[in-house]
Amino acid sequence: MKIENQGLCLSISEIPELTSVNSGHFRDELRAVLPGSPSVIEIDLSETRFVDSSGLGALFALYRATAERSGVILRLLNPRPEVQQLLELTQMQQLFEIVQR
Amino acid sequence: MKALLICPSIRPAVPQLAENGPLATAPVLGGCVASHWIEHLAVLGAREVTLIAADRPDQVEADLGNGSRWGVDIKVLAVGSEPSPGEAAARYRQEGDAMWLPAPHDVVLMSHLPGCAELPLFESYASWFAALRAWMPRAVTPARIRMSEIRPGIWAGHRAHVSSTAELIAPCWIGDQVFVEPGAIVGPDAILEDRSVVEAEARVTQSWVGPDTFVGPMTSVASSLAWGSSLTNWLSESSLRVPDPFLLCSLAPPTAPHPIKQIVREAETPIRQLGLPPDWIARWPLPVRRGRHSPHAL
Repeated sequence: MKIENQGLCLSISEIPELTSVNSGHFRDELRAVLPGSPSVIEIDLSETRFVDSSGLGALFALYRATAERSGVILRLLNPRPEVQQLLELTQMQQLFEIVQR
Repeated sequence: MKALLICPSIRPAVPQLAENGPLATAPVLGGCVASHWIEHLAVLGAREVTLIAADRPDQVEADLGNGSRWGVDIKVLAVGSEPSPGEAAARYRQEGDAMWLPAPHDVVLMSHLPGCAELPLFESYASWFAALRAWMPRAVTPARIRMSEIRPGIWAGHRAHVSSTAELIAPCWIGDQVFVEPGAIVGPDAILEDRSVVEAEARVTQSWVGPDTFVGPMTSVASSLAWGSSLTNWLSESSLRVPDPFLLCSLAPPTAPHPIKQIVREAETPIRQLGLPPDWIARWPLPVRRGRHSPHAL
C-alpha cells in the first residue's frame, strides 16, 4: 500500500486486496495520517481485486472518521467491476464519491 | 406422438448459469428450461420426449425423472457434442412422420422458452433476464396450482411468506416457499425463485434471485442475477463471488458426488469427446473384449 500526502490531498494506492488480512494495517496507516487534516482523500482501487466485509468495514470506518470533519471529500477511484458490485450490494456506493478516471 | 429436445451445452456467454448444472435444467420461474418445454410439448400431444444431452446428461435425467408428472415418457440420450436440429433429426428421427409432432415442435433446440423464439436465453446474461421477465405472465399454467397472481403483475406461491411491511412492486414473481422479510422491497422486474430468502430491508430490483439463495439484510441486488454466492450484473456482465455469506449465499445443502459416480463421470468425459456413446465398451462383442480378435477386424 502506498500513501502520498500531497498537501491537502491524501492519496492511497497500490492496494491489491482489502480483506481481514490487511484491513487492520489499512486502518492504522490512515489513522496515522488523518490528523494532517487533508481536504481530499482519494483511495485508488484500480489494483484492488478482492474486498471482503473486513475491507468494507475499514472503508466505512474511514467514512465515519471523515464525516466527523466537515468539508473533507472522500473519493474511491477506479474500482474494478467486481469491487463496484460489492459496493452496490452493500449500498456503500451511496456513502462514497466513486470516480472512474 | 414423439418429440426430440436438444439440451444446449456450454455457452461461453453465460458460464455462471451452468455452474450448478446443465443449462437445460437452469431454473426458470419455478421450473427449469427443460420442464417448461416438456410441459409445452405435452400440451401439444407429445407422449414420448427424448432429450439429447451433451452436458451432464445424468443430471438432466435425475432432475427430470421419467416424465410421469407431465404424462410423458422421457428418455435422455448422452452424446459427445450438441447436435444441430438438422443433425438430430437426421440421426434420431427415423420413423414415419405420423409418429412425430408436426414441425417445428418435432425437433427443438432449447435455446429459448416455448413461444418466445425472439428472446434467446443464452446469448448473454441480459438476454437471459429479458427472456425470464417476458415469461413471467406465461409461467402460471393450470398445472401450477400453487401459484397465483395475488395482485396485477405480482405472482406468488401459496407457500411464500411475505411480511406485511414488505413492499412488492409489479411486475414481480415470488416462487414457492420464499421468505420476504419486513421492510424488504421486491420489484419492479424481480424474480425470486423457490426457497429463496430476502432478508429485512433488502432490495431486489430488475434482478433474478436463484433458488435456495439468501439475500442478506439491507443489501441491494439491482440489475443482477444472484444465485448462491454468485452475483452477476447483467448490464455490465461483471461477475463476483460474494465472500461473506451474510450478504449473499446459498441455502442449498452441499451435495458431494458419490465417489463411484465421480470416477465413472471422469472416465466418460474423454469417451464422449471421442464421439463414442458412454456404453461403447458394453457394445463390443465379448470375444473382442477378451482380446481374441484381430486388430484388423475392428
